Amino acid sequence: MSTVTADDATRAAAPEPVTETRTRRRRIPGIGVVFGATWLLALIVLAFTADYLPFIRFYDRPVRGAAAAAFGPGNDFWFGSDSLGRDVFARCIYGAKTSLTISVASILVGTIVGGTLGVIAGYYRGWVDRVISIFTDALLALPAIIIASLLVGRFDVLAASDADFLGFGFSWLTRTWSVTIVFSLLSIAPVARIVRAQTLSISQREYVLAARSLGAGTRRVLVREIVPNVIPALTAVIFTGIAILLAAEGGLAFLGYSVPDPPSWGSLIADSREQIEEAWWMTIFPCVMLFLTVLSFNLVGDRVARRFDIREAAL
Amino acid sequence: MRYVAQRFAQFVVVFVVVTFIVLASTRIGSTDPVQDLAGGQVDGARRAQVLEDYPYLDMPLPIQYGYWITDLVKGDWGYSYYQSQSVMDMFKQRAPATFFIVFWSIVMGLLIALPVGVYSAYRRDRLFDRASSLTTFGFISMPSLVVSVALLYLVAARYDMFPTVGGSDYVAPWDNPYEHFKNFFLPSLAIGIGIGGVWSRLLRADMALTLQSDFVTLAKAKGLSPGRILWIHALRASILSLITSVALQLGSLISGAIIAEQFFGPRGLGDRLVFAIQQNDLLTLQAIGVVIVAVVVVANLAVDLMYAVVDPRIRAARALS
Repeated sequence: MSTVTADDATRAAAPEPVTETRTRRRRIPGIGVVFGATWLLALIVLAFTADYLPFIRFYDRPVRGAAAAAFGPGNDFWFGSDSLGRDVFARCIYGAKTSLTISVASILVGTIVGGTLGVIAGYYRGWVDRVISIFTDALLALPAIIIASLLVGRFDVLAASDADFLGFGFSWLTRTWSVTIVFSLLSIAPVARIVRAQTLSISQREYVLAARSLGAGTRRVLVREIVPNVIPALTAVIFTGIAILLAAEGGLAFLGYSVPDPPSWGSLIADSREQIEEAWWMTIFPCVMLFLTVLSFNLVGDRVARRFDIREAAL
Repeated sequence: MRYVAQRFAQFVVVFVVVTFIVLASTRIGSTDPVQDLAGGQVDGARRAQVLEDYPYLDMPLPIQYGYWITDLVKGDWGYSYYQSQSVMDMFKQRAPATFFIVFWSIVMGLLIALPVGVYSAYRRDRLFDRASSLTTFGFISMPSLVVSVALLYLVAARYDMFPTVGGSDYVAPWDNPYEHFKNFFLPSLAIGIGIGGVWSRLLRADMALTLQSDFVTLAKAKGLSPGRILWIHALRASILSLITSVALQLGSLISGAIIAEQFFGPRGLGDRLVFAIQQNDLLTLQAIGVVIVAVVVVANLAVDLMYAVVDPRIRAARALS
């Protein structure tokens, strides 16, 4: 048992032998990370102050004088306008707001629930671990996109119906809510799995043993020794997870089950795809935004993972 | 042996839990499953017929599940009143297209991963390695939706050779290989690029470790050619996690295939799935769900058993990770 654990720990701790380039990378943040962080910051600021910025137009109304024709990108419309005269740039920025809100909120819920489950499973082991493992295995075996579109579709029906639960109706269950709920559910299992592996290897370390032999109770060991040491891995997981969820949101939108208003990036792409030959800018710009954002999250996540020596394959 | 039995028990439990989740989620927000199955505006006769065919639909969920899964195992997958077709026939018609997208995207992924992974591990930290690691990182970060749009815009819309949205039907490779290629090249590429990036990085990491091990040094000392060392000795030692990843990614590959189908034509399970969700065509949904879940769970089990056979040490380690 112990040799195996040690083996696992070394695998987790040393993905690559240290080379000269690696030590150099440690000191100077690579150009990729700088780009990623800048892009994300700029995007978040733009998306959440969009209502107050003068150069971002409405996403849902045609610009006066531009209706009924799609204009290419230029001075008037940075990213062009769509066939209803709406500004594609503004739609991309509001799309960022929708997409980012959904992915970040879901990953946070997934991290809190999955992280708790993972720490408990990894620390207590035994039957607790087995029960939690079956639960996470089941969640992992769910075909994500399919179950997501099914659930979002059913939630639509639920919201439209007059069913109630404990006296509450379901009219609050908009697309934004249902996509967030489903994505939170789907992000529990991967997080739980990685956190469990980390907890298993951390709970074998000397400092945990030291804390226990000094008389620390289970709660203290968990809160003061294990959780702080799981957080680095968790940070990397969060960034990578957001990237995955952004991509998944695109897929979901493509099957017709994402947020239509304000349209997420996926919805923008899916809705304008038919007109790609006449007006490429309507589809290509949201695609580029989606790609750059996913790339940035991956770059930052990769950097965090490298910084804390986390095995890439685990993500 | 005990290990195998344990894995198998877990496999059964997971399978039951997941298929039950699928069944239960089709019932969310629905007050009357009989009505769902019979279709929206139908007369009493059809409703009566549905009730006669599926008398269990009024019962509590676990009992419904029992009846349904028994039927499923017996080979009676149900009847879709919307499509006027039995679900099994629907599968026979649609599943091959989805299967081939998944199959060819695995082939594409491996065609990217094997050369890139092996060669960049061999030339570690050299120009090729740097360039390929940058490129694969980009590939990984490209959602398949974006790749699909790019392929649609850059290839499908400009060359008449490839069909676009809904423009093609399934053609079996043994009937007409060229038509088959035309229909399946783009969707498989759209998925294969991303997964190829993931696999190249995986293989590179393992390969780089293998190349530092003693038996490689020995092989070099014996004077074996670098090609032979790389492609036969070292590759065999490092390919295990690649195979694992192929098996574990099957689920997301199927999901990807269902989306790619919507872009590039060969109509498989994807559009039936979308229709079935819109109409809440219970038995079709449940059948599609159960098949995909079965594939994923069996692949997982296969990986575990393969590890047990290949390397008993890993068996215990995997139980931990």
